[in-house]
Amino acid sequence: MTAVISSTDVCRFFGDEEATLVKAVDHVSIEIERGEFTAIVGPSGSGKTTLLHLIGGLDNPTSGAVHLSGTNIAEMTGTALSDFRRDHIGFIFQAYNLIPVFSAEENIEYIMLLQGVDAAERKRRVAAMLAQVGLEGLGDRRPNKLSGGQQQRVAIARAMVSHPEIILADEPTANLDSKTGIALLDLMKELNEKHNMTFVFSTHDEKIMKRASRLIHMLDGKIDLDESK
Amino acid sequence: MLLFKLAFRNIFRQRRRSLLTAMSLIGGYVLSVFSFSMSEGSYNSAIAFFTQDHTGHIQIHKDDYLQRPKIHKTIEQPDELSALLDANERIASHTLRVFAPSLAYSETDNTPAQVIGVDLARERTTSTLAAKVSAGSYISPELDGEGYYSAMIGAGIANNLNIGLGDELILISQGADGSIANDIYIVGAIVGDRSSGDRSTVYLPLAAAQEFLSMYDAVHEASILLRDDRLAREEAAALQALLPDLSVDPWQVVEATFYQSMQTDKQGNLVFLGIIIFIVFVGVLNTVLMSVLERTREFGVLKAIGSRPAKLAMMITVETMLLSSISVLAGIVLSVPLILWFTYTGFALPEPMDVGGVLMSHFTGELSLYVFAVPMILILSFAILISIPAGIRAALNSPTEAMRSH
Repeated sequence: MTAVISSTDVCRFFGDEEATLVKAVDHVSIEIERGEFTAIVGPSGSGKTTLLHLIGGLDNPTSGAVHLSGTNIAEMTGTALSDFRRDHIGFIFQAYNLIPVFSAEENIEYIMLLQGVDAAERKRRVAAMLAQVGLEGLGDRRPNKLSGGQQQRVAIARAMVSHPEIILADEPTANLDSKTGIALLDLMKELNEKHNMTFVFSTHDEKIMKRASRLIHMLDGKIDLDESK
Repeated sequence: MLLFKLAFRNIFRQRRRSLLTAMSLIGGYVLSVFSFSMSEGSYNSAIAFFTQDHTGHIQIHKDDYLQRPKIHKTIEQPDELSALLDANERIASHTLRVFAPSLAYSETDNTPAQVIGVDLARERTTSTLAAKVSAGSYISPELDGEGYYSAMIGAGIANNLNIGLGDELILISQGADGSIANDIYIVGAIVGDRSSGDRSTVYLPLAAAQEFLSMYDAVHEASILLRDDRLAREEAAALQALLPDLSVDPWQVVEATFYQSMQTDKQGNLVFLGIIIFIVFVGVLNTVLMSVLERTREFGVLKAIGSRPAKLAMMITVETMLLSSISVLAGIVLSVPLILWFTYTGFALPEPMDVGGVLMSHFTGELSLYVFAVPMILILSFAILISIPAGIRAALNSPTEAMRSH
């Protein structure tokens, strides 16, 4: 097995003075292999979302290294980091975070436009992704005309359409009802198995924990327990 | 394309706010075009007035006659010069003149007068002298039956000397050869009224003036009207190359005082225009910053999924440019009929107004690409300028912090 994500002694502290210093992630070292369906779990404030952001290059660590597919993204900034995220990482957010003025199709298409994929290929891939997430016929709808579950399906399609190596999902089921959440998790699990994509969740949702192949428990910014099923 | 689609839809996200912003931009544009058209129209009228009244588009003199006029600084072969100018297709017409200060007498009074000898046939097509005849008729260059030349006199001279049509006019001056010049003329026409610029002028046929001043066939000035007045500088330079022994000057040099005051006034208008547009753009800047602030989360998401910071900044610029361009287009649609009316109808002023030394009694605008383009360029440049701080704000936002905002 190959480690696609590797963090070495990563810290993310907020604040300058000792009295107010918040150690959101405190000397965390983990390795995640290709194709894993991993959940980072823990109570609120445990540092799971911050760790996910560090892995995704959305935030820079105070110290330590984060390697994604062999590249230390902790040393990257600006355009290089944006390009790396665009080509290697797919994001799914708790609040879906779709572009409200784009239709579902355009939301999925946008990232391929950034990658310079030609129009015909973009159209083909959008249609395929909509079919894969069960939204055929709804592509021309804007987010405000879709239910929460449908919006999250669009977000999954957007995250996957550029064929990233890693999908990072921050509380993806938190805003969904139980039934919709289960359906989406089953979809992500199916995509994980079908495409051998690496999924990393930050969650305290039991449904995700049940389906995850590995659970990384965090407490006060440190890894409390790392268990593989 | 998707970037334009995104920008277009973002503009229509807050319809009321975009509409208000567009209205202020349209108002600023129409006001700027109108003010520009008015100033350009006024100056064009003034330029046309004095170039056609007397100055012409180009003048030719000997040496520094223009700065230091002396009777002996003459163009010696005016026929050769006329032949050269007649052969030039870019020249519509030209005339030859001589000048001399003199004293004018009637039987009872005297008054100072500026004598101008003019080629009567050529003057008719080069200046508005014929149209300014207010009494009598445009004189003939020939001697009358009693052996006198006719003269056209300014209304001021007619009043000061208390003479009219058919009366005798005596002129005394100094000849080019140093002799005392004096002769009698018959008043054939009165020019203008007592407020006219040439109220103290006596116009004589060219041959009569040359004889009076002992100048033989020499002249002091050739005044030229071009077919295209915009080419005055270029054509003056071309003629200067052909006439190295003479001084060839465009109207901008001949009427340097007017031209400089016009240029200063035009720069003042540009500053005023810039201030109008700046005030409009203070409101636009507020709109753009509000729009960026409201979409902080969205910019965070776009950055998170791989949009480059520069792309986000460009998106803000495209949005601002798009709104400004739509407003300018609407402004053009609204201002074209206004400027058409202003150019071809205009309005009369209750009191004449001094524009760079020329009295204007009627205001008309100018319809040209320049009038529409300068405010457009200013508005679009301001649009780019104000989108920069907003774009930088969007580009530099940390995605994690941006996505935490609401």
